[in-house]
Amino acid sequence: MMTPLRFEQMYEEEWKELERLLDQVRGRRLRAEPNLTVSGAVIAALYRRACEHLALARARFYPAYLIDRLERVTADAHQLIYNRRELGFARAKTIVAVDFPSAVRKQVRHVAMAALTFLLPMIVVGLFVYSHPELILSVVDIETAASFEQMYSPSADSIGRTRTASTDWMMFGFYIRNNVGVAFQCFAAGLFAGVGTLFFLGYNGAFAGALAGYLTERGLSSTFYSFVATHTAFEVTAIVLSGAAGLRLGHSLIAPGRLTRVQSLVAATRESAILLYGVTAMLFVAAAVEAFWSSATWLPPSVKYGVAAICWTAILAYFTFQGRRAD
Amino acid sequence: MAAAETPEGILLELRPAGLIPRFYAFVLDWVIRIAISFAALTAAAFMGGLGLAFWFILLFALEWLYPIVFELTPSGATPGKRTFGLKVVMDNGLPVTPAASVARNLLRAADFLPFTYGLAIVSMLLRADCKRLGDIAAATLVVHERPAVGKTAMAVVPPLVPVRPLAPEDQAAIVALAVRAPRLTADRLDELAALAGAVSGDAGRAGPDVTRRVLGVARWALGRR
Repeated sequence: MMTPLRFEQMYEEEWKELERLLDQVRGRRLRAEPNLTVSGAVIAALYRRACEHLALARARFYPAYLIDRLERVTADAHQLIYNRRELGFARAKTIVAVDFPSAVRKQVRHVAMAALTFLLPMIVVGLFVYSHPELILSVVDIETAASFEQMYSPSADSIGRTRTASTDWMMFGFYIRNNVGVAFQCFAAGLFAGVGTLFFLGYNGAFAGALAGYLTERGLSSTFYSFVATHTAFEVTAIVLSGAAGLRLGHSLIAPGRLTRVQSLVAATRESAILLYGVTAMLFVAAAVEAFWSSATWLPPSVKYGVAAICWTAILAYFTFQGRRAD
Repeated sequence: MAAAETPEGILLELRPAGLIPRFYAFVLDWVIRIAISFAALTAAAFMGGLGLAFWFILLFALEWLYPIVFELTPSGATPGKRTFGLKVVMDNGLPVTPAASVARNLLRAADFLPFTYGLAIVSMLLRADCKRLGDIAAATLVVHERPAVGKTAMAVVPPLVPVRPLAPEDQAAIVALAVRAPRLTADRLDELAALAGAVSGDAGRAGPDVTRRVLGVARWALGRR
């Protein structure tokens, strides 16, 4: 007759072997046995056996310690066997070459909506502030407005920052922290049926518009536009794309189609991860350009405008054409 | 208690962690991050602009990348979560994927609203699986690690054949009592064993002798002869 003890005696060697192999794979004993090779087929076979034993032990009401041991070893093996490794250099390469631009094209309606939500308030508020410069005071207080003028005055040491602020490197760090935070906020706020994303996009667009309108009216347009022209190719595009990912989340909740709302949200979230990888990388590029290139006063504006045109063309071409063959 | 079924047809038990252990883990992680950022600021102060650049990038990394990087290690947990025996897994019990980890951690920005993780707390309190919004969207779960259960030493008593046939459930109950016996006081053990007195023909009686015989039946059920 099969009893728990007999069961344990019969199969314990297999469980021990599986536990030993799992330990080795997880590297705990790598130092003790440096030149070991573990056969995946052996682990998989032992794992399936342990699954059978667990099912039997549960059906036969074997003691808790026995079931617990089998549950532990099967859970550990399950984690190892079904683990998906999707990080690494090769993966990063396909994301840049295919997945990211292709994901942007797939979301073209959300991208267009996000772009409009950013650009319309920017243009409208920009024109308003240009025709009535005092309106800038309803966006920022008077000291901030004065510091803007100082930041973009042609006599500034470096454009786009106050005199007290420190070096290019410091601003590089500051831009990364600040801009990535804004982008992630635009994405996360999409969880509220997209309304939060619309708000943050519109708010940031309106603020940029107010600043541009004010500085243009003050006659500082040549420093200001030559400053922003280049890095906005990466920065504004990245913010719009993270907004598009947020709108995708909101859309999945409002119109889940044939899925439940939670299933639809999970699918949308999984898709938007690719966009977020790309957005983060673009914001690092934007921060570097903003800190080291845009702020330089020794470069004539014409050079900056030329480079800006190249950057904008390149980024738009990248999203339009890159990876199309693999689509 | 949530469970995930594997392709091999067995159920993996997942024990979702509640608000309180997750709060402790969060506070510990928060203290670690504050400590690192202060230490780095002190170091950065000696390095000028370059130091401050590193400091800002470090702040960015601590704020957004810290949980992602740690969740993608084999332990699947930040130092805070590991200290309190928690880990992040997918709904199906598998290790958290990079995409899910990124999503659940970026969505903290939504969970944080209206202030101090207000929505996360409400969501965790309302749901049986204790997910915050980021967990719902990323299909992840914060679970208790399985505690290490050693094989308990059972009292060595002579095995005893039960006086009547026992169904598997009854055998399991008696064995479970025997496994728990070393952790019970003698009086409590006698009380509980008296409830099972019928298996050793001691129905209605109680005392250390009844307990010995009931434990003997447990040894028999385990397979001692």
